[in-house]
Amino acid sequence: MLYKNILWISLLLLSPAEKTKWVVSESSSLSVNGSTNINKFSCVIPTYDQTDTLTMAQVDKGVILTGNIGLKIESFDCHNSIMTSDLRKTLKEKQYPRLYIHFLSLSEFPQLTTEPKSITGWVNIELAGTTKRVEIKYQVSMDGQKVIHLLGSQDINFSDFNLVPPRKLGGMIKTNDLLSVAFHLKIKAI
Amino acid sequence: MKKILISGLIAGCILFVFSYGGLFLAIRFLPALFTEYNNPLFNSNGSRDVLFYLHAFIFSFALSWFWERFKVLFKGPFMIRGLEFGLVYALIALLPVMWISFSALDVTIAMVLSWLVYGLIQAIVAGIVFAKVNP
Repeated sequence: MLYKNILWISLLLLSPAEKTKWVVSESSSLSVNGSTNINKFSCVIPTYDQTDTLTMAQVDKGVILTGNIGLKIESFDCHNSIMTSDLRKTLKEKQYPRLYIHFLSLSEFPQLTTEPKSITGWVNIELAGTTKRVEIKYQVSMDGQKVIHLLGSQDINFSDFNLVPPRKLGGMIKTNDLLSVAFHLKIKAI
Repeated sequence: MKKILISGLIAGCILFVFSYGGLFLAIRFLPALFTEYNNPLFNSNGSRDVLFYLHAFIFSFALSWFWERFKVLFKGPFMIRGLEFGLVYALIALLPVMWISFSALDVTIAMVLSWLVYGLIQAIVAGIVFAKVNP
C-alpha cells in the first residue's frame, strides 16, 4: 500500500501535467445508510469541520487526485440519539475518532457543467484502523456560483473494516453487513 | 431437592421454547417495538449470547425453589395457583426491578412495561408447570 501511494505521488510530482487545486467546503456532507432485520437507518455527517485541499493532475492514463478528508465519527447523526451512540460505538469512535477518505484517481478529467456527468475514481477509505481501496461512482457538476459538486457513492461492508455489525438479544436483532455510503463534496477551484 | 430440580428443568424447557419462540415471533411481526434495542446499553458483540439463552433455566430453577418453599400458601385449582404465583413474583420481584431500571437506565417506558409483562407471563407459565408437576 505504501509503495503504491509513493508511486502515485511520484508520478504526480514528475508529471509535467497542469495541476488543479480544489478546496473542500465546510458545507460538504456524508451519509451512511444501513438496515437491520427490523428497520432501516440513515446516519449523516451534515457538515465538514475543516477545510482541505484536493489536487488534480491529468496524466496519460487518467487523472491523479490527491488529498484526503477526515470526518469526525462523533459528528454522525442518526436522527435518534440511541442509534447515534450505537453507530459510534460500532465504529470504535474512542479508538478511531475519524473516518478518512484518501483520494487517489479519477477515470477522466471532469467536465464542469451544470449537467451532472458520471465518472469513477479510486479512493482509500480508512475506518476503524483498517484501510480499503474502493472504486467510487461520482456525479460531477458545477453550479452558477462556480461551486463544484462531487457526489460519490459506494456500498461497503462492516466486515471489510474488521467491524462486527451489532447484534442484540442473542442475535435475534441483527444489523446487516452492507452499508451504503454517499458523500457530497462542495468544492471551489483555487 | 430432586423435585426442585426436575420441576425446574421441565419448566426451563417449556419457558425456553415459549420465551424465545415468543420473542422471535414478536420481533418478526411487531418489529417497531424492538427498534429501541439498537442501543449501546445492550450487548452487541454476541459475547453473552449463551448467558442470554440460559436465562429461561436460571429463572425456572430459582422459581422452582421459591415454589417448593411457599407452595402451601397457594390454594385452589392448578391454573389459579400458577396465576397467583406469577402475580406474587411480579409484585415482589419484577415491579421493584423494573422501577429501578427505568429510573437509572436510558430506556423507554414502553420497553420497561414490555419486560414487566414478559416476566409476568413467564412466571405464570412456570407457576402452572410447578402446580401441575410438583403440587
